[in-house]
Amino acid sequence: MGTILGTVAAMIVGGAVAAVTVVGVVSSQTSPQGDSPANVNAPVVQYGATQ
Amino acid sequence: MRAVPVAWSSLLAVLLLGPALGPGYVLSFDMVWVPDLVLRADVLGVGSSLPRAVPSDAVVAVLDEVLPGALLQDLVLLAALVVGGLGVDRLLVPLDLGLAARLAALTLWQWNPYVVERLVLGHWPVLVGYAALPWVLHGASRWRAEGRCPAWLLLVVPLGSLSVSAGLATSLALLVVLAAGRAQVRRLLAAGGLALAGQAPWLVSGLLHAGAAVTDGEGAALFALSDEGLLPAPLAALSVGGVWNAAVVPDSREGVLAVVGLLVLSVLAALGLASLLRGRGTSARALARPLAVLWLVGWALAVLTWAAPGAVHDLSEVLPGAGVLRDGARLLLLCVPLLVLLVALAVDDAARRLRAVPLPAPAVVVLVGALVLLPVTVLPDAALGVAGRLDAVEYPSSYAGARAALQEAAPDGDVLVLPLSSYRAPDWNGGRPVLDPLPRQLVPVPIASDDLVVDDVTVAGEDPRVRDARAALAQPDPASRAAALGRLGIAAVAEDLTAPGPRADVAGEQVWADERLRVVVLPQVEPRSVPTGWVVVMVLAWAAYLGLPTTGLVLALVRRRRGVDRSRGASPTMRGKLSG
Repeated sequence: MGTILGTVAAMIVGGAVAAVTVVGVVSSQTSPQGDSPANVNAPVVQYGATQ
Repeated sequence: MRAVPVAWSSLLAVLLLGPALGPGYVLSFDMVWVPDLVLRADVLGVGSSLPRAVPSDAVVAVLDEVLPGALLQDLVLLAALVVGGLGVDRLLVPLDLGLAARLAALTLWQWNPYVVERLVLGHWPVLVGYAALPWVLHGASRWRAEGRCPAWLLLVVPLGSLSVSAGLATSLALLVVLAAGRAQVRRLLAAGGLALAGQAPWLVSGLLHAGAAVTDGEGAALFALSDEGLLPAPLAALSVGGVWNAAVVPDSREGVLAVVGLLVLSVLAALGLASLLRGRGTSARALARPLAVLWLVGWALAVLTWAAPGAVHDLSEVLPGAGVLRDGARLLLLCVPLLVLLVALAVDDAARRLRAVPLPAPAVVVLVGALVLLPVTVLPDAALGVAGRLDAVEYPSSYAGARAALQEAAPDGDVLVLPLSSYRAPDWNGGRPVLDPLPRQLVPVPIASDDLVVDDVTVAGEDPRVRDARAALAQPDPASRAAALGRLGIAAVAEDLTAPGPRADVAGEQVWADERLRVVVLPQVEPRSVPTGWVVVMVLAWAAYLGLPTTGLVLALVRRRRGVDRSRGASPTMRGKLSG
């Protein structure tokens, strides 16, 4: 009984991690990019912006 | 079993770089590769600007004579990830870890905020230094244990010193390992000499430019270690993030996943520390001691830039070279080896315990696999070129045309690059910001803006010739501007017509013009030559740098020869012992 429960728990944990990873990777590729701080209409292109 | 880490490391690297490995060049912030970089004065450290890309540009200029620039860039980026990952695997060999722990260590090494943020920021020489770090640690450990320097370390140290900060990390790692335990003065001196020779090109060039090597203190607060999403800066640094530039931070680092990642990392590190203290043997402790020192130095320096930007400001304005410390998160590479060691120990313990539990093998594999995969789980948008932030593009033909036209005109002097601003966001690069690629495309020594604009604040550059050129451009008419530039040794002006920034018309012969670029050769120029003293000392510096791999090669051959001779002279039994 303990073995079966352990297996199920392992599958749930492992499956959850795998699912979160795959969903994370896929959604990060499909979601729109944030605006770049660079703006060609600005007087110069900026090196970056602090957070 | 050796093939598994190689395959896993390669898979992670390809998954992370993704479209960046396609045909063309990856141009992202400070990462600028061109088809054929010329080995010219500024690349060798005798230009008028600070040696920010010495010796990395010189190494590229030599290697791209053998391989096309785009292919070379792909190989360097791939190798920076895979070689480092395999170095960590090699470093941990004395600990006799299971495969799961080795793969977990490798995953964390290659897939973390430091790697991702530096990659997007274009700090590839730093990542090469990062790849060299585990090999330096391993080589120094062997040197300490066996009493003689491994020949290959003489190649790794210069490779790990392609930029100032990478070189400092390499030198520190080497010296800290050799200073641990009962240090021998002679060995430490030899290691110091090795580190110095590896840093010679940028160090000597920096000394030659000492008058201009104090940096604008404005950069101290802008480039300091930064908060990252929900994580305050010191906590962001614990998870080796906290880069100053928000534009290079993956979205997952801005939300809850970063907190989860830090919590998981902290728990694993604590479990790894407990495992280490409980009795992991002397080899684990011997390895952990210098890594703990490096972690402390890296984290403390990073947090210092956040906690005391005023001190960094004052220091960089008075002490030549101190500006290297202003990018606080850059030295966090020193923290990664200890984190990787502790996580590996924790995962190793967990895997052993799981095997002792009466679970079917597939369930154990799934759980251990989840542990190995955790760095990817909490940073999923690092995949495929950091969610598309890194991509390969081709240069418009204008660049090759402008280069050829200027080469044919063969002006006897340097080329001023306009507009006088450092960064571009060209449409052909998807609007991604990048350091102006035009200076690296051209053959003559470029005079280009080294000002940096962050949050609308300009951090002044150091090159005195740029200041002189700016003053020359302020002359009232094109003819007088051309004359003033000519007196500065500037023989041509190359202008990016698509980029915003300060510019002015200059009189001269137009040798190239299209919708993107224009090149004008000036009528008169007073050529400038590099002082002989500079040439002499830089030749010596390069000789010291290049002498390292040469000596390493000779040393390896001599030792191999001696080993063969000894093996031939020994009895069959002894021969077996010697070869083992």
